[in-house]
Amino acid sequence: MNRDLRFTALKKTPFHSRTSLASRTNKYYNWNGFTVPTEYSTTELEYTAARNGTSVMDLTPMCKYMINGSDANKFVDYLVTRDLSQMEDNTVAYIIWCNEDGKVMDDGTIFKFSNTKFMLCCAVKSYNWLHDSAEGFDVSFEDATDTTAALAIQGPTSCSTLKNYGADDLELLKPFGMKQYNINGYDVLISRTGFTGDLGYELWTDPANAENMWDSIMEAGKELKIRPFGMHALEMTRIEAGFIQTNTDFMAAEDSLRPVRMRSPYEIGMGWLVHLNKESYFVGKRALKKEKETGNSERCLVGLDIDGDKPAVGSVIYNEKKEDIGIVTAAMWSPTMKRNVALASLKRPYGIKIKENIFAEIYHPEELEYKKIWAKCKVVKRQFFSPERRNKVPADLYE
Amino acid sequence: MSDNYDVIVIGAGHNGLVCANILAKKNRKVLICEARENCGGLVEESITNFVPQIPLSVSSSLGGLPVKYKAKSTIALSESGQHIRLVGNQHIDHKVISGFSSKDADRYVEFHDKMSSFSKALGSFMMASPPRIMNNTFSDYFKLFKLGMNVRMLGKKKFNEFARMIGLNIADELEDNFENTLLQGLIAHDAVLGSNLGPRSPGSLINLLYRMATHDNSIFGGIYEIDGGSKAFVDTLLDISNKNKVEIKTSSSVKRCITENDKAIGVELHSGEKIYAKKIISNADPRSTYFCLLGTENLDTDVKRRIKHHRSKGKVAKLSLSLNKQPEFINCDKNDLESRMVIAPSIDYIEEAFNPSKFDKLSMEPILEMKLKNSDQSNPVLDIQVQYASYGAQEGWDKIKDNYVDAVIKLIGKYAPDIQSCIETKTIVTPDDIEKNFYVSGGHWHHGEIQIDQLFMLRPIPGASQYRTHLDGLYMCGAGTHPGGGLTGIPGKNAAQAILEDA
Repeated sequence: MNRDLRFTALKKTPFHSRTSLASRTNKYYNWNGFTVPTEYSTTELEYTAARNGTSVMDLTPMCKYMINGSDANKFVDYLVTRDLSQMEDNTVAYIIWCNEDGKVMDDGTIFKFSNTKFMLCCAVKSYNWLHDSAEGFDVSFEDATDTTAALAIQGPTSCSTLKNYGADDLELLKPFGMKQYNINGYDVLISRTGFTGDLGYELWTDPANAENMWDSIMEAGKELKIRPFGMHALEMTRIEAGFIQTNTDFMAAEDSLRPVRMRSPYEIGMGWLVHLNKESYFVGKRALKKEKETGNSERCLVGLDIDGDKPAVGSVIYNEKKEDIGIVTAAMWSPTMKRNVALASLKRPYGIKIKENIFAEIYHPEELEYKKIWAKCKVVKRQFFSPERRNKVPADLYE
Repeated sequence: MSDNYDVIVIGAGHNGLVCANILAKKNRKVLICEARENCGGLVEESITNFVPQIPLSVSSSLGGLPVKYKAKSTIALSESGQHIRLVGNQHIDHKVISGFSSKDADRYVEFHDKMSSFSKALGSFMMASPPRIMNNTFSDYFKLFKLGMNVRMLGKKKFNEFARMIGLNIADELEDNFENTLLQGLIAHDAVLGSNLGPRSPGSLINLLYRMATHDNSIFGGIYEIDGGSKAFVDTLLDISNKNKVEIKTSSSVKRCITENDKAIGVELHSGEKIYAKKIISNADPRSTYFCLLGTENLDTDVKRRIKHHRSKGKVAKLSLSLNKQPEFINCDKNDLESRMVIAPSIDYIEEAFNPSKFDKLSMEPILEMKLKNSDQSNPVLDIQVQYASYGAQEGWDKIKDNYVDAVIKLIGKYAPDIQSCIETKTIVTPDDIEKNFYVSGGHWHHGEIQIDQLFMLRPIPGASQYRTHLDGLYMCGAGTHPGGGLTGIPGKNAAQAILEDA
């Protein structure tokens, strides 16, 4: 390790020279050991750019692991609950993986280059888990977190921005597809993925190219309402998209101190990612099969449409008898949809069989006083925002 | 697909044979697949020296086991010729020890009584299948409750003493009680025998208790030799198998378990032959059972971790010296030569022998347990258990084997000066050889350390107790399961019961 790094509290990403210049507020936070901005100017402005123009986010702190070896294909299929045996080269898949009790460890995306080469992108540090899972498989791992610079380019004009940057024919790239480019003399991997629920891309390259990439993209999007956006704005967009966040909407199995806090995929709305009929075994299959057969899942993660306009942050959810039936894990007033939305973890049968007569107790801060609101909620689909342009091929282009 | 057999037992070790026969007696059609040419596994002249008696519960469930035992006394050899001879009878032993120190003699009786009462409290727990807490069933809680009660019923004072001693090292306890270093060394030797512990390692005391619980609850009383040797014992088991129509296929090593819908339905041999059965029982060690039979691709990561961390590195080598005449041991008579002879002169000596083994190195002054076979004939054989002969020794067994054997012989020479001139041939079986020739990963006698984190419901690993594995239809009956190694047959018997319960 670099000697200086040992005395640095937090690492700087390869984009730091640019993100720090763009920051008007000097608000940073610790993401996986890196210092990155929570917001650059105002969160609302950045959110608006993400929904109406192009937003740029430094993704470098995401955990990235290269999985290589002759058994890489088999190994990845063994690691995750989703059936990836038919996955095509140069595509990306959203996945979760579980421990032996069928409790979710983390979610993430897996990038397939070939049967012998994959990249796993996730929130929780997982090298140890990969290593121990690999017993019996011919695979090796490389933690590429520090050696890969990543940028998220999201929003309706993102495709046009990247085309200006040099990504030819990018509009033809399908959702969850990826393509290798050579732009300005360096290699960039572009995948049509993202965490905003909108049209968007993620770019992966060597840290040495980071600054050029940032500058060129900012230049390319100058006329397309480009703006760097921070974690707070991302949080807004991901709630609208109904995406879950590890250790926010559910506790990662390895991070929970209390076993009862661990959640199975069925309890966080990820049952669709569990393929029990997958031919080979995968970690947690026995436990998940049992849970599915007995139907003893205890909780569920649902979307709530809440009366009024006060966000139900951290609210406790009650039934009509005022019995505690769950908690809000993420909440916001959605400026795009003009709805008061939230993600909530409820005790079954609430959220599954009982969807009516559910109430949130909202404490709304108003200048050192709390306004207590008893708001009626409706259980709705978690995906609040999903515009047509998100999956359109060819992607929308603007000038 | 029709099942050819009700049960296939993988491995014809004594536990596998016991298990197969109990099932066959219950009208199950049983096949045993044994990788080696011979049956019996580690119950073989080249491995086993002394054994405890097979418990009554095991022999009676086999319809009687006509095996004769010869009780053995023990002699702790001293270079000065001041040997200590113990027979396992308190009064006689008291008299013997008072010849060295009358304080030690009284303390010995007290110590023996205390340890016996503890090992008896463990006793019933040792014989039965361990509880499984995750099951949440009454009978499992009752078993635990009973163990708690057994210990509590010893009285408040003894209960406190038990709690104090359970994690203790044997050296502290012995030094508190005795002043004679040879006596200390002898008891410490038995506490660490077959384990990966030194006398000063925490947990070495429970190792002794555990040993006592399978050896008549007595420190030096429960040591026997089988009349006719290990072969007679195995032959008896094979006779019974014959009577019960247990089929045995030797030289048939199993490659893997065949599964269907995540259930074991048969085995595939290395020859490619596939045999199907309703239930499969593995007499192999836990690591082989999980990593080879079940297959790494069928295991959860957490299970892989537990198996990988399962401690099963063998520490005992067996050296056999065939002699052309009876060696002269200093100050030993004919009776002494028929005893179990132990060379472990003091706690410090054992600890020093143990130290290098922590780093997978070998001590050239190891501790020895010896047996002189055919002592009255012209071709006696000296069988020697050499402890702290590390599995996978750093120096490389191939390179160091000869030097090591010479060192052991030199060591014996201190007690029997003419040994060198008596030797005709020497054979050593190291833990590495045990792994290779007997298919026991790590070459560990007990298929895994007998230590508190690998005992009872934690044996062999959490989640696999009660003789069941993570795969439906695949069971375990080897020494890796509760209560562990030693020639008891209890794992085999309990596994058979588990299978009958599930049927």
